[in-house]
Amino acid sequence: MDNSYIYILLDKYWKCETNADEENQLHDYFSNENIPQDLQKFIPLFSYKNSMKTNYLSPDFDYNLQKAILSSKKKTKKYIIIKIFAPALRIAVSAVLVAAMGLGIYFIAKANNKTYFAETYNDPKPAIKQATFALDKLSEALNAGEKASKETLQYINDMEIDWISIDSLMQENIELDSAISEQKVNDTNL
Amino acid sequence: MDKFHSIVLPLKNKLYRFALSIVYDSAEAEDIVQDIMLKLWSKKDEWDQIENLEAYCFKATKNLSLDKLASNELRMTESIDEDKESNSITEHETPFSLISRKETQSNIYKCIEQLSENQKMVFQLREIEEMSYKEIAEALDITEDSVKVNLFRARKKIKELLSNFEG
Repeated sequence: MDNSYIYILLDKYWKCETNADEENQLHDYFSNENIPQDLQKFIPLFSYKNSMKTNYLSPDFDYNLQKAILSSKKKTKKYIIIKIFAPALRIAVSAVLVAAMGLGIYFIAKANNKTYFAETYNDPKPAIKQATFALDKLSEALNAGEKASKETLQYINDMEIDWISIDSLMQENIELDSAISEQKVNDTNL
Repeated sequence: MDKFHSIVLPLKNKLYRFALSIVYDSAEAEDIVQDIMLKLWSKKDEWDQIENLEAYCFKATKNLSLDKLASNELRMTESIDEDKESNSITEHETPFSLISRKETQSNIYKCIEQLSENQKMVFQLREIEEMSYKEIAEALDITEDSVKVNLFRARKKIKELLSNFEG
């Protein structure tokens, strides 16, 4: 091959203007032994392809891959079984959840069902009327009671009772009673 | 089932190389491809809704690889040192080991490491998988213009770095 053509090809190669055929020509050229001194530095570049091309997977790659595929199939089978039962499992899980929620709500409602405040009327207006009437009556009764108490107190005051003499009389009576009871005790002891 | 055997499974080595170009660990890349295949298998009912299954596979591989890279911090930067490079890459007997035997050839990994993630991915899909700009755009979920820009910058950077190594 003409060396000048190789220089042209190389120039195109560096500019990325070569096609696959031209690049193969370069690879072929550099695999020869008679390479000009100034081009020898590029031999590793073009021999790189041949050296890399001989890189293959190990011979047992296919066997290992087959084994890996088979073991992944087994895993898939297990998954398929779960998949088959998936709708039933979903229903079962849903039922359990619904039942659990139902029971939970029931117990919570039961616990909270104690009536803290309950209305005993249907129509509020008559209820207010009745309540007002009842409160008025209560108020009247309380006022009447207060008035009667005051009148009684006034009546007692008007009587001008000598409370001190009554108190001393009462004291004397108490002393007399205790003396009599002591006497009785002594008599029984004798 | 047919689509899995006709579209997805034949992509396994491309996806593996793509993942490898991101995480730089063959065991990790293999795990990523297996995860993607399993994920796709488990979603086989949705395949009809996926417009471009091949692009979908690359997108998923890209995302998972970047996730793994972020979580494991598996960076090539740690392997610039020759010893570390041989530990992390040659451990699983990849052609990286054959390449790294020659000093000049290991330079390309150092160059690629200098690229941004997008540049790296575009470079990988174009150089190794010979995908068209349109296919790369769909696989990486970016525009065709973005693919061209990233590829241009990647090649330019690699050219500069390789020239510097020589100097």
